[in-house]
Amino acid sequence: MIKALLFKEWLKTRQVFFISLVVTAAVSAYVILMMARLIQLKGVDHLWLIMILKDNSFVDTLKYIPTLVGIAVAVAQMVPEMAQKRLKLTLHLPYPQFTMVGIMLATGMVELLVIYLLQLAAIGIYDSTILPSELTWRVLLTMIPWCLAGFSAYIFTASICLEGTWKRRIILALLGIAVLFTYFAQPALEAYNSILLLIVIFICLSVILPFGSIIRFKEGRQ
Amino acid sequence: MINDTTPVISVKHLTQRYGSGRIIYSDLNFEIPKGSILGLLGKNGTGKTTTINILMGYLKPVEGECRIFGEKITEMTPATRARIALLIEGHVQYSFMTISQIEKFYSRFYPRWNREAYYELMKKLHVSPNQKISTMSCGQRSQVALGLILAQNADLLVLDDFSLGLDPGYRRLFVDYLHDFAKSEDKTVFMTSHIIQDLERLIDDCIILDYGKILTHTSVDRLLSEFSKFRFTTTDASPLPDDENLINPYRIKNEVEVYTFKSPEYVKQALDRQGIVYSSFRKQEMNLEDAFIGLTGKY
Repeated sequence: MIKALLFKEWLKTRQVFFISLVVTAAVSAYVILMMARLIQLKGVDHLWLIMILKDNSFVDTLKYIPTLVGIAVAVAQMVPEMAQKRLKLTLHLPYPQFTMVGIMLATGMVELLVIYLLQLAAIGIYDSTILPSELTWRVLLTMIPWCLAGFSAYIFTASICLEGTWKRRIILALLGIAVLFTYFAQPALEAYNSILLLIVIFICLSVILPFGSIIRFKEGRQ
Repeated sequence: MINDTTPVISVKHLTQRYGSGRIIYSDLNFEIPKGSILGLLGKNGTGKTTTINILMGYLKPVEGECRIFGEKITEMTPATRARIALLIEGHVQYSFMTISQIEKFYSRFYPRWNREAYYELMKKLHVSPNQKISTMSCGQRSQVALGLILAQNADLLVLDDFSLGLDPGYRRLFVDYLHDFAKSEDKTVFMTSHIIQDLERLIDDCIILDYGKILTHTSVDRLLSEFSKFRFTTTDASPLPDDENLINPYRIKNEVEVYTFKSPEYVKQALDRQGIVYSSFRKQEMNLEDAFIGLTGKY
């Protein structure tokens, strides 16, 4: 049964997953090419100097990609469930209802994790060939909160899609915007290092939101 | 304790309203025994889909208790859900799947899955197993939904407005297949439809809902034998019969029709008591739709 549920989620999201993967890979390749070109023109010393003195990570172009990917995966996964109230079919399946919702969310988040890890790996591997490990980690630690923003964007978008009432959708959307804003409020590199664990805990706790939407759906609050 | 006499569906003192506003119905009570094919009939807005939503656990009633196979619907276990086949209004299915994908998907959940029943029906559609459901016509989608229901081989079938959007051919196909299946396998069926002629070919019992209450819960045969439609000619000026047992009297020019559970003698006496002059008094043949109109009125 779990395999069947995973199959359903994969059918809904595979297109968006591959598009997201291609877009992320393309933007990452663009970032790497820009850095390579700078090295070619002015040498690697110049790149190091800019990174240290001007606090430039050279990966700013990637900043909002994880958030957009998170929103896209959630929409691809949850909109077909809510169109024509198809979620009734899912909740009628002979399997524990909240476990099913958990599997749906876990599938989406694993897909995001794959995309984000590939992105981090691409940048990390390239940077490690041209930068000292301190600078490579500086870049990666700057990018990690953007990926965490992607998970938050996914959870809030999923909750909004599964929510039946416009009032709560608006509340969730405003809350989601406020939360996402905090991920990008500090432009400095590694600005979120000290609270990364707190952010992860917050994301884990916010998973409760889509379950709340499901409970309200079951009560007929639409 | 569940035994053979336990009703498949039991609804007690059910009350529901639109949000915090108008009452849809209050203190609704009915039971559906095993093997019964029951149609829930009512005009738009009388709460047919609402009742199905409550029974399937997608709506919390204001008051009352519903049980399916003896189990409270609020605590329905996956094992009980496996015994219920659900058709959502509009034959909604996972339209992003293909004919073969959806069969594979559902087959993992139901231990009594009958793959042949599904593909036998699909053969009639002349569609490829790789065709996506979203690219099919409404009629074809209805057959996919029906095929899945037949393959699930559930003990209880809950069908919400199965005829919605179907042309007469597909409606007939749906009804014929469902009737054969339900009768040969002793299934219990609880269904709604806005096309009553279709239900007449299918159901044994009916519940007719009016705004706020159940008008009747009886077998179709009994309803058609005990409920009658009388017609007579009168003058333009004469009043319509006013008797609590003469239901929904209606005039078209000089012709008056009236419905009742009483005998022709009772109707004649009521007309005489009121001083209504009439001629050509006759009983008219009725089908289920006529009986429905007679009980609920044309407006």
